[in-house]
Amino acid sequence: MISELIINAFLVSIMLAIAIALLKARTVIYTVLLTSAYSLVAALMFITLDAVDVAFTEASVGAGISTILFLAAMAFLPKKEEKNVTNQAFPALLCLTLGGVLIWCSFDLPEIGLATSPIHQHIVPEYILGSRDDIGIPNIVTSVLASYRGYDTFGETIVVFTAGIAVLAILKNNKTSLKKIKSQKKVAENGQ
Amino acid sequence: MDNNPILRIATKILFAPIILFGLYVQFHGDFGPGGGFQAGVIVASAFILYAIVFGLEKGKELFPLSINLFLLALGGILYGGVGIASMMLGDEFLSYNVLGSSQQAGQHIGILLVEFGVGLTVSNVMIALFYAFASFESSNGEKK
Repeated sequence: MISELIINAFLVSIMLAIAIALLKARTVIYTVLLTSAYSLVAALMFITLDAVDVAFTEASVGAGISTILFLAAMAFLPKKEEKNVTNQAFPALLCLTLGGVLIWCSFDLPEIGLATSPIHQHIVPEYILGSRDDIGIPNIVTSVLASYRGYDTFGETIVVFTAGIAVLAILKNNKTSLKKIKSQKKVAENGQ
Repeated sequence: MDNNPILRIATKILFAPIILFGLYVQFHGDFGPGGGFQAGVIVASAFILYAIVFGLEKGKELFPLSINLFLLALGGILYGGVGIASMMLGDEFLSYNVLGSSQQAGQHIGILLVEFGVGLTVSNVMIALFYAFASFESSNGEKK
């Protein structure tokens, strides 16, 4: 119990340090790498909560592929961020208030892993027993994700698909419009 | 980056194990942590690594854009197809019980196919996004 507390305190302090460093970061590549590090620490956090599947997803998607895609996309941005000159007192106050309210509410949450807490009473026992008897798969997460909640996962897949083709469509459109601009320029130059 | 021998050799050594690990995560998701989303990202990272180190042209030679876009759509179709197949066999949409000889066998087949569909779509969306960003010309015409 005490070792868990030490590990959690360690991970939270690293996350806090990264968050503060993110506020100070003014170059794009620094921001992207810090976000990636934040995801990796979050993955460790999920492991301490015994959510191995979520940790796996966070490490591969949050820390891995999104960093690469961000870097690939941000090569087209200016290297330095403009210094923010507007007054940040009100947003800071808002964030602190919201954070305080959330922390205050978290005291009312049931203890993590408590068997008598409401979310473990409603449908979870059915899933745990059904995963063994009806589906026959040891990993309950997979049986919930692919079988009990198959509709949701179908929706997620379609969302990923739609997002992908939307980005492709935007970038392709940009390419054709660039070609148009270039050919118009050429026509104008030839006309002169 | 394509004339750095350390990167090239390391990429050649790592490429197959990354794919193998992706397939392990994909098809072992029933028994351990993992599944289509994670496996898709891992497989995509192998192809993206290849394209980063050897250049976009070589990457597109290894994994052409036409196949990429075809597989991108095939993943979603596979997922929906499993649902429609179970409807054809007389059960509800995405109810896998009728796909196999017993309820558990049907669930196994359904989950395996559905996760494979997820993996196909996720990996190919990631690769397609990387290709699109890497070959994107910015407004002043300079290429990355």
